[in-house]
Amino acid sequence: MRSSNYIVFGQRWTAQLTFAIGISLVVLFSLIPAVGILVISFTDIRSLPYLPTSWVGIDNYLTFFSAAQIGYNLAALKNTFVFALAVTFFQNTIALLIAVLLNQRLKGRNFARAVVFLPTILGVTVIGLIFSLIFNPSAGPAAELWAAFGRSTAFFGDPELAMTLVIFVQVWAGIGVAVVIYLAGLQAIPPELYEVADIDGATSWQKLRYVTIPLLMPSVTANTLLCIIGSLQSYQLIYVLTGPSNPATQVLSLAIFTQGFGGAQGGTVQSQGYAAAISMVQFVIVAVISLATLAYLRRKETVL
Amino acid sequence: MAKMPSRAKRTLRISPLAAIAAATAFALASCSGTAAPGGSVAVPTDAGAVTGELNILVSSAKGSDAGFKAVNDAFAAKFPNVKVNFTSVPNENYNQARTSRLTAGSIDVGLAGPKELPSYVPAANMGDDARLAEAGGFVDLTDQAFMKKFTPSVLEKIAYKGKNYTVPTGLSYYSGLTYNKKIFADNGLTPPTTWDEFVTLCEALKAKGITPISIGGKDTAGIVMLSVVQSLYPTAQAKQDLAKSLYENSARLDDGKQLEVLQKVEQIYTYAQPNFAGSNYSQMTSEFLTGKAAMISDGTWNVGSLREADQVDFGYFPLPASNNAADNAFLGGKVELTLAVPSNAKNKPAAMAWLGVFADNYKAFNEKAGFAPAQVGVEGDPFYTEIEKYTKNFEPAWDTIWIPNTKAGQAANLPFNWTALKPMGQSDAQAAAVAAQKDWEAGK
Repeated sequence: MRSSNYIVFGQRWTAQLTFAIGISLVVLFSLIPAVGILVISFTDIRSLPYLPTSWVGIDNYLTFFSAAQIGYNLAALKNTFVFALAVTFFQNTIALLIAVLLNQRLKGRNFARAVVFLPTILGVTVIGLIFSLIFNPSAGPAAELWAAFGRSTAFFGDPELAMTLVIFVQVWAGIGVAVVIYLAGLQAIPPELYEVADIDGATSWQKLRYVTIPLLMPSVTANTLLCIIGSLQSYQLIYVLTGPSNPATQVLSLAIFTQGFGGAQGGTVQSQGYAAAISMVQFVIVAVISLATLAYLRRKETVL
Repeated sequence: MAKMPSRAKRTLRISPLAAIAAATAFALASCSGTAAPGGSVAVPTDAGAVTGELNILVSSAKGSDAGFKAVNDAFAAKFPNVKVNFTSVPNENYNQARTSRLTAGSIDVGLAGPKELPSYVPAANMGDDARLAEAGGFVDLTDQAFMKKFTPSVLEKIAYKGKNYTVPTGLSYYSGLTYNKKIFADNGLTPPTTWDEFVTLCEALKAKGITPISIGGKDTAGIVMLSVVQSLYPTAQAKQDLAKSLYENSARLDDGKQLEVLQKVEQIYTYAQPNFAGSNYSQMTSEFLTGKAAMISDGTWNVGSLREADQVDFGYFPLPASNNAADNAFLGGKVELTLAVPSNAKNKPAAMAWLGVFADNYKAFNEKAGFAPAQVGVEGDPFYTEIEKYTKNFEPAWDTIWIPNTKAGQAANLPFNWTALKPMGQSDAQAAAVAAQKDWEAGK
């Protein structure tokens, strides 16, 4: 009986060597820090020289779930879920529709593809600056548009509107990559199937529903999973648009960032051990949700 | 038969993980908890003896950056054999940058502000800088010759347990309002001295269609709250008493003067520009400079840039949140950036020499930085002469006295819960105060 290793590596030591280099980089920069964070979360380390570090057991976790912090942390968790679900849903649906559109033979298709992909190239800070200017409540273009409807709002400062706007910006920023993945998936669908559907007299909507989407399920799985994992941990755009401690848009990863690194002069109030503990809680949440999503989507793939 | 190899593989896979965990634990244990050397280093007088590289890390602001540049030029002239690496980092990222460079030992002169912990605050709430000072992480500068050049009362304010680990760069005041003198004159208004006068003034401006106060809600540091606290608890003793009674649970955040703080902040918010929760600091300043707003809630650190913009003739007065004029007489402030030398600095002689040059050239520094001077006999911007009557007695602002309880909930961090007030948040003063008290009690 051949062992499965033989097929992967063959007799070639070059493949094994490059694989080993790759895996050692992953171990060095991902696995070891990850295990390190787990260890740190049981200490009160402050990441400064001369300060002693002591083992505190599950104290940090108890603080996270304590009566004083639980209200705030649950609100952050709720925001995280709302953000992740909304971004995943809207980003994938809109990206799919755009990809289907861009897959047709249209004039200026390449230009349109470049424009759709453009936000991905812009950095978080640039996007944040652009939208802060657009949504300037006293003089920006969005304010003028809003005033045309007779309403006025503080946009990112308005606790009720801030989350919606942040989701909108995140979807806008991430749509490029999703479209590219869907386009690749669409181009893998054999055109004969569409011809067969045409012969059977299917409408465009029926073609989309019965040919395109089922065959696109692997791309949907990939995109949805990437999106969920990414948006559960994303905080950069929220930080740039609404600041580090705005309760309306506080998400768990942002809480980790501010607890772990503080902000201006003065240092953090809690230790980095506490930040590591929140980090581990987030890891568990992301792992559970991603594995559940993966299992569900894989099942759907085979069903369809 | 086929099962045996897989079991061997499984046991093999567990131990590397355990090994990694153990290695990390050892690494962590060894790179912390080392005893600090302490001890003092004299300022070298021989310019030739000071060599090598000098690493300086400060937080960035237009005025102080220009000031430090002047000091660096003077230093280069006096000690030509030293290479100065001066880095200034935006304020939001300063702590992060300082932490990583401190661990690497690559800061010779940096910023620090160790705050002594009052007896009524549990030790777990000690800040990073205080912990470092306790562990001997800063060089003791008390007996250095250059310290004598600074105003003794300022040095007293930044001492930690009787020792001076930091060098002051100036003072700033922030419990007041910067106002447009022309708008006031045109409307026959003068700076108010009581709360009722203040409310009348704001109503008058509002009626004329001028925004009374422009507030940058997005990145405000809560100065409005600090200004109100300054009037309601005017002296340092009053503030200490409040802090003590909160920690001893003999005062509550949701009644008496504590509730009054939030109620007055709520009222001041009604005089701000519409939707100010979405405006940032520069938008607020531009509204002031273009004459749309009569006042801004700001600190005196901005004097330099307002002066440079040269669009508005401006003045400053304490925000009068009390109806007793005597309570509103003085501005609350703090000692601005304070410089320290970490004990693991690689080039202590050069750091001391640099601090000596800083003390000698303080006048040149402050001309650019625009702070209230921390040395006797140095004249600041004429603006400070104008507000002398408000700064005769230096009153420390609330945020320099209050130490947050890490065990309490977020609403009790400051502990006045202004971030929950409409339109920044979604509550009125009573609800915000009740939420703060609830979070405070949770930390008992």
